[in-house]
Amino acid sequence: MYEIKMPRFGLTMESGFIEKWFKKEGEKVKEGEPLLEVSSEKITNEVVSPASGILLKIIGKEKEEIKVATVIAIIGEEGEKVEEIKEKEEPKRIVETTERGEIPPIKVASPERGGRIKASPLAKKIAREKNLDLSQIKGTGPDGRIEKKDVLAYLSSASEKKVEFKIEKLSSLRRTIAERLSKSFHTAVTLTNTTEVDFTEFKKLMKEKNVSITSGLAFVLSKVLIELNKFNAHFNSDKKELIIYNNVNIGIAVDTEKGLMVPVIRNTDKLSLKTINDQIKKIAGEVRKGIISEDDIKGSTFTLTNLGMMRTEIFTPVINPPEVAILGIGRIIKKPVIVDEDKISVRELAFLSLSYDHRIIDGADAAKFLEKLAKLIENPELK
Amino acid sequence: MREITFAQALGEAIFEEMEKDPTIFTYGEDVAKQGGIFGAYKSLLGKFPERIFDTPISEEVIYGSALGAALVGMRPIAEFHFADFLFTGIQSITLQIEKIRYMTGGQGKLHLLLRGPDGISNSAAAQHSESIETIFMHTPGIKVIIPSTPYDIKGLVKTALREDDPVICFEHKMLYKTKGPVPEKEYLIPFGVADIKKEGNDVTIVTMSRMVHESLKAAEELEHEGISVEVIDLRTLVPWDRNQVIESVKKTNHLVVAHETWKRAGWGAEIASIVQEEAFDYLDAPIVRVGAKNVPMPFNPLLQDFVTPNYKDVIDAVKKILR
Repeated sequence: MYEIKMPRFGLTMESGFIEKWFKKEGEKVKEGEPLLEVSSEKITNEVVSPASGILLKIIGKEKEEIKVATVIAIIGEEGEKVEEIKEKEEPKRIVETTERGEIPPIKVASPERGGRIKASPLAKKIAREKNLDLSQIKGTGPDGRIEKKDVLAYLSSASEKKVEFKIEKLSSLRRTIAERLSKSFHTAVTLTNTTEVDFTEFKKLMKEKNVSITSGLAFVLSKVLIELNKFNAHFNSDKKELIIYNNVNIGIAVDTEKGLMVPVIRNTDKLSLKTINDQIKKIAGEVRKGIISEDDIKGSTFTLTNLGMMRTEIFTPVINPPEVAILGIGRIIKKPVIVDEDKISVRELAFLSLSYDHRIIDGADAAKFLEKLAKLIENPELK
Repeated sequence: MREITFAQALGEAIFEEMEKDPTIFTYGEDVAKQGGIFGAYKSLLGKFPERIFDTPISEEVIYGSALGAALVGMRPIAEFHFADFLFTGIQSITLQIEKIRYMTGGQGKLHLLLRGPDGISNSAAAQHSESIETIFMHTPGIKVIIPSTPYDIKGLVKTALREDDPVICFEHKMLYKTKGPVPEKEYLIPFGVADIKKEGNDVTIVTMSRMVHESLKAAEELEHEGISVEVIDLRTLVPWDRNQVIESVKKTNHLVVAHETWKRAGWGAEIASIVQEEAFDYLDAPIVRVGAKNVPMPFNPLLQDFVTPNYKDVIDAVKKILR
């Protein structure tokens, strides 16, 4: 007899969400055959059967989140009894499914209403069927007795007040986003410095070279990160250590249908602008198609989030932990700018928003960072 | 359709059945020569002289002889002159007539019909105005029919004259002269089937006899106020049509039971009790009974009006539970 346990896809995985069982209880399975689909915080994987036999028992149900290493199913030979195991290994469910109980008995004792609530048998029957709380209904019959018309009036007023809504269960990805962002927000001491930068020349050059603004930014950003390497780091708050990296892996925030994803372009400090552009193009496409592997979203040392194509100028990006800073780019807008000898010229400007963890980085560091970056953007050489 | 009186319809029913069944004969005080004190047998005057005859004033003899005749296979129709006088010969009825079929384990039939007037009239006072049908509902062993229209009495009496059980029929004094449509073609009305005299949605009134008409009058007035009343005439009290009543209550959620007999322990209490047992969850208000005040009927016409229920009491009852 084999016990199928909730697998651990990565070291940080604590629980898995059972998306789907491919086999039913009592069905034959072969070793290596897909058994179920499990999604972790990061990815969705098929779990294959470790043995051949009969799927005797499914313990972890679909749409349940179950702790890693908990028994979720049992495979054995036909006719084997699984009762004992089932009792011994009741899975640790994280999200308890709400059991629909019996219709609760109608409440008739009401201290606020001077003891028993008076209601006609018919009124009580309707209230019971509709699961209403009689103490919320005003009776207009003799002695304040609640009658059918009072229940119906309550129901129609309740339906007027009713707010239409649907409940959407968070996808595994959205839950990961929520967890990570709230962790970042509650632990890092996040500040955001902004500065307005002239993108006119930069934009022109990118066009000439036929690469995206994001690629160009990743390129210049890498130069700054190598120079001010405190920004190119991970902070381990438990050990009170800063891990400063010698190479730059830039995470690029990509908006996908499922939610925000941050694929990583590695060693951008050593790559040419063209290569960066190619890689971003490829990986963004993969992310949007949902065919990215877990490795491609791991290991960034700094994150770049570009809202330039949307209507946002300044924002406060949230640090992607364990990184210590994140750079946001706003919309590039044409503005009148005073240039040499007090002349006014139309230039294309955008704000850089640098969020940083003040535990590690001071405001002056951030200002220095922005200054270096701005200079590279305003006087692009791109070599 | 032709219209005839309640008395004429009764006469027709008896005449038609006597023609078919030679074991039927009928007797009582002042029936043959006078045609009944309220003219119930007027249409039978001179018919079947051998089989319709008068008796001395002796209720015990009248009911006891009916019992004896029925025991030997005859089908007597005995008139009780006034329902009040049933008490004077009641032992023949409650101790014998009601029991024979049961005590013989159903081996013997006991087909007889006790019939006569009941209810109020113009100041007939305490001993000539009673409605005592509840007593025969309470003591098992006799079927109780109480028609309210010419159509109903003809159909019900004809059924009674083909029954194997004893039947008692109460005919309200004030109804004998009322007219109504009665087909010339033969028909029977089964026992235990109520008649919805008027359909409605807001409240059900279960009633019989004279109070059917009072209830219909009340319903008409209430209709002007936008209250839709269903009037159910039970027509037979034993057995009574509980399905029809419960279905109606499920529709209207309100019940008034109206009868001329005393409210205290009157048959309305039985109806109300069954309805709350079987349709409790459908009641949106207490069941209200309309009945006579709990006193012997006064001679004084004003006091008689005060004691006897009428359409106004029905209206009050309906408004009380629908307010």
